[in-house]
Amino acid sequence: MESATRERFGERLVDAIGADAVLTAPEDLAVYSFDAYSEERLPSAAVLPKDARDVSAIVRIANECGEPIVARGAGTGLCGGAAPVRGGVVVSFARMNRILSLDAANRRARVQPGLINLDLSKAAYPHGLFFGPDPSSQKISTLGGNTGTNAGGPHALSYGSMTNHVLGLEYVDGSGEILHTALDDFGYDLTGSLVGSEGTLGIITAIDLRLMRVPPAIRVFVSAFGDVETASAAVSAIIAAGIIPTALEIMDKTIVRAVEAHYHAGFPLDAGAVLLVEIAGQPDDMASGERAIGTIAREHGALSWRSAADATERDALWAARKGAAGALGRIAPNYYIQDATVPRTRLPQALHRIDEICREYKLLVGNVFHAGDGNLHPLLIFDRRERRQVEAVMAAGTEILTACIELGGTISGEHGIGYEKRETLPLVFSSDDLATMGRVRDVFDPKRLFNPDKIFPSGAVCGEVRAQPQVAAGAGAWL
Amino acid sequence: MRRSTRPTASSGGRGRLAVNAAPATPNYAFGDRAPGAVFAPERVEQLAAALRACDAKGHAVVLFGGGTLQSLGHAPARYDVAIDLRALDKLLEYEFRDLTISVEAGMSVEQLTATLAERGQFVALDAPQAARSTVGGILASGWGGPRRATYGRPRDALIGTTIVLADGTIAKAGGMVVKNVTGYDMSKLYCGSFGTLGAIVRANFKTLPAPPARRVAIARLPERTHRHVIENIAALDVEPAAALVVQGFADDIDGRDGADGRIFLLFEGSQALVDRSTRELRSALGAAGVPETTLFDAGAGTAFSRLLDAYLVRLGDRSVTYRCLGLPNDLLRRWETVARLAQTHELALETLQDIRTGDLIARVSATLSGHLAERIAGFDAELHLALPSIHVLTAPEPLRGGLAMWGAPPSSLETMRALKKRFDPNGTLAPGRFVGGI
Repeated sequence: MESATRERFGERLVDAIGADAVLTAPEDLAVYSFDAYSEERLPSAAVLPKDARDVSAIVRIANECGEPIVARGAGTGLCGGAAPVRGGVVVSFARMNRILSLDAANRRARVQPGLINLDLSKAAYPHGLFFGPDPSSQKISTLGGNTGTNAGGPHALSYGSMTNHVLGLEYVDGSGEILHTALDDFGYDLTGSLVGSEGTLGIITAIDLRLMRVPPAIRVFVSAFGDVETASAAVSAIIAAGIIPTALEIMDKTIVRAVEAHYHAGFPLDAGAVLLVEIAGQPDDMASGERAIGTIAREHGALSWRSAADATERDALWAARKGAAGALGRIAPNYYIQDATVPRTRLPQALHRIDEICREYKLLVGNVFHAGDGNLHPLLIFDRRERRQVEAVMAAGTEILTACIELGGTISGEHGIGYEKRETLPLVFSSDDLATMGRVRDVFDPKRLFNPDKIFPSGAVCGEVRAQPQVAAGAGAWL
Repeated sequence: MRRSTRPTASSGGRGRLAVNAAPATPNYAFGDRAPGAVFAPERVEQLAAALRACDAKGHAVVLFGGGTLQSLGHAPARYDVAIDLRALDKLLEYEFRDLTISVEAGMSVEQLTATLAERGQFVALDAPQAARSTVGGILASGWGGPRRATYGRPRDALIGTTIVLADGTIAKAGGMVVKNVTGYDMSKLYCGSFGTLGAIVRANFKTLPAPPARRVAIARLPERTHRHVIENIAALDVEPAAALVVQGFADDIDGRDGADGRIFLLFEGSQALVDRSTRELRSALGAAGVPETTLFDAGAGTAFSRLLDAYLVRLGDRSVTYRCLGLPNDLLRRWETVARLAQTHELALETLQDIRTGDLIARVSATLSGHLAERIAGFDAELHLALPSIHVLTAPEPLRGGLAMWGAPPSSLETMRALKKRFDPNGTLAPGRFVGGI
C-alpha cells in the first residue's frame, strides 16, 4: 500500500476509535507481522479495539478501503493464521480481555475474545466449575484465538474441542454489522460455522462458553514403555477396550529428556516412551478405572506404572507435559511441529512411518502427542542455518502428512490450516468439497477481506485445484 | 443423466419409483398438499441425478427420512417431489476399535443403536420414535434430547458428513478421525439445516462406550414439592444423565402424577455409581418431601424410549406441542408463564421440564378439536410475546398455517437467507419450510 494511502487509512481508523488504539509506525507494527509460524509481512495498521462497536468501525473502514482484516489473539498459532500475509489491518484483542459474565447456576460464561484461556478456569474454580479445552498454550493463548482455530488440547479426548463448548457468539460481519448466534437459536448453526473458520468469516467479539463441574476425583498415572510404537499400541488397545480416560498422552525419550532437564517432574528418563494417563469422575470409579487401564498397559509391554501421589505431583506432571515443546526449544536449535490425526488403531503404523521418514531424511524427531485422539505432533529438529536441513524438514513434513492421510487420517487435528497447510488441503478434499466450503465463504466474506490466503488453496473455488504441498519451517512453542 | 420433466424417472428405474402415485402416500403429504412424485434412491448417484434434474426443472423437493419430525416447520411453499432417503441405509464402516462408525443417513436410529450395542457402544441421539426415525432426519432437524447435557448434542458426536446439494454436487466434510480441524466444519452447518441446504447421505460418528448400568427412577410429587425437587436434583453430587419433571402424559410415560406431577430420572454409569446415585437420590427426594421412588433397571431403556416418544405424541387433532429452550435456572419461571397462559386460554397443559438442559416441552390440548382451533391462535401469539426461543414440535395440519412455527427469527436471518441462496439458488429444497420462510 502506498504510504499516502496508508496514512489516510490510519487517519480514518484514528478518527473512529482513537489515536491510542491505532498503530501505524513500522517499528510498532513489527510484532503484528507474524505469529508462531515463519511467514511474516508488515500490516498497514494494527488496532486495539475496546468493544464490538470499535470492531464494527474498523471493519467498515477496512471494507471501504479494500484492506484485509486479520484477527489476532496472542499470536501463538503454529500455522500462520494470524500472519497478515496480504497486509491490511491486524485487529488485536489485547484490550478486550474481560469475563463479561459468569453464570455459575447455568454453567456458562460470556467472555471477550482476548481473555486468556486459563484465566477463565481460574475464575470458575471457586464455583466448582472449569473450562474444558486446554491447549498447551492455555497460559497465554486467548479464547478468541482458540475459537478461531477450534483448538483442542490434551483433554479434548473426553471433553472435546472448542466447538463442543462454544454456545454462542457475537461477531461482526463483512459489512460491519454486529450479529449474534446461539446454539439454541432456530435456523442454521452459524456458531458451528464460525468456530474453526480461522478468522475468514467474520470477527468474533464475544463468546458464550460452557463450563463444566470440576470432577470430584482425578488420578494421573505415568507408565514407561520400551519405545513409542509399543506405547501407541497400548493406547490403541485401551480405546479398543471401550475405555475413554480424560487424557492419554505420549512422550518419547527425546521429549522426556528435554522436559526433565527443565521441569524435574519425575518422568522416567530411561524409558523409550512415557504414557501419561488421566482419569476423572466419581471416586467410586477410580480404582476400577486404574485397574482396567493398568492391566491393558502391562499386557502391552508397560515397564512400569505409577500413580501421582497428590494434586501437587499431578499438576507438576501436567505442567511438564504442556511445556514439552518449550523445553525442547532449549536444547534444539530449531524444530518444526507437525499436527495430523490418524484413526486410533493406526497409531503404531503412523509412528513407524514417521520414524522411517525421519531416518530417510536423517532428521532427529521428538514425539509428544495426544495419543488417545490419534493426534500426532512429531517435532522435526533442525538447524535453520543449514539449508539442506530446512529442505529435508519441509519434504519430511509433507511425507508425514501424506502417510497420515494414507492411514485414513487428516492433516490437522487442532492447530488449523492457516497459511501453512493451505496448499496441502487438496490432498484431503476434492475440488467439489472445497467449492462447497467456498460457498460459505462467499456468503460471509464475498470480498475476501477476512484473513485472505488462509485455509483455501490458491486457485480454489474459482477453478481447478491441484495439490501443491509446501511446508515452511517454523519454530513454534506449543502443541 | 438425461433431464426429464418427470425427474424421478431419469434414474433408469433402479430407484424405487412411484411417479404420480395419486394420491401420494399420506406419509409424504402436508395437509392437502401431496407431491406429484415420490422417489426412493438406492444409491447416492441416483439421488444426485434426481436432485439435479429437479433443480433444472424447477421442481420443489422435500427430503424424507422416517418423517417423525416433519411436523416441525411450515408446510412447503411449493411441493412437487418427495425424495425418501430410507433406502440409503447401509452400514459403511464400523471401526469399533477406533470407536467410530460411518453409516448412510437413511439408516434408522434403532438400527444404528442396535449395531453399536453389539459392540457395547452408543451415540446419544435421543431420537423419539427411534424405529422410524432416521439418522439423517435427526441430524437435519437439529434434534437434541435430554441427555445432551451429559453427552453433547448429535452434532458433537458427528465427525464427518457427505451431502448432496440441490445441483447434484456430492461433497464431503470432516472424516473418520475424532479430532479434526481440516477445512470448514461443514457438518455443523448441515445439522439443523432442515433439508434446505442439501441431503445428508452419509454420517460419521465418534461413539462412546455404553454405560455398564442404567436405571430409571420415577417418583410421584406431592403438593408443593415441585420447586424443592428441582433444586435438590440440580444439587445432586452424581448428576443424572437425564432429569425431567413430568406433568401429564399419563398414557405416554410410565408412572402416575402426584399433585405436582412426577419426576423422571435416568442414571447411567458403573453399577457402583448407579447404586450410590440411587441412595443419594432417595435422600434428596425425601428431603424435598417425596416419600416413594420406583426403580426400573431391566425396563430402563424402554421407559426412557417412552419418554422420548412422548415429545411427539399428538392427541388426535386436539393438541399442539411446543418446545421452549432456555437456561435451566429459568425453567420454573417459563413453566409458570406457560401454565398461566394455558389457563387464560382454557387449554389443558401437560409438560416435560428438563432440569438439566432447560428445555420445556408443553403440550396444550382441548377436549374438542374445534375448541383447540378457536383458542390456539391467541395462546400462540401471547406465548411468543412472553417467551423467546419457542417452536412447535407438532400441530394438527390445518392449524399449522396460523402458528408461529419457529417463533421470532434470529438476528442473523439475512446471513441464513444468503446461505440458502448460495447453496440452493433455485429454492429447490423444501422451500418455505424453515426459519423466516427459508
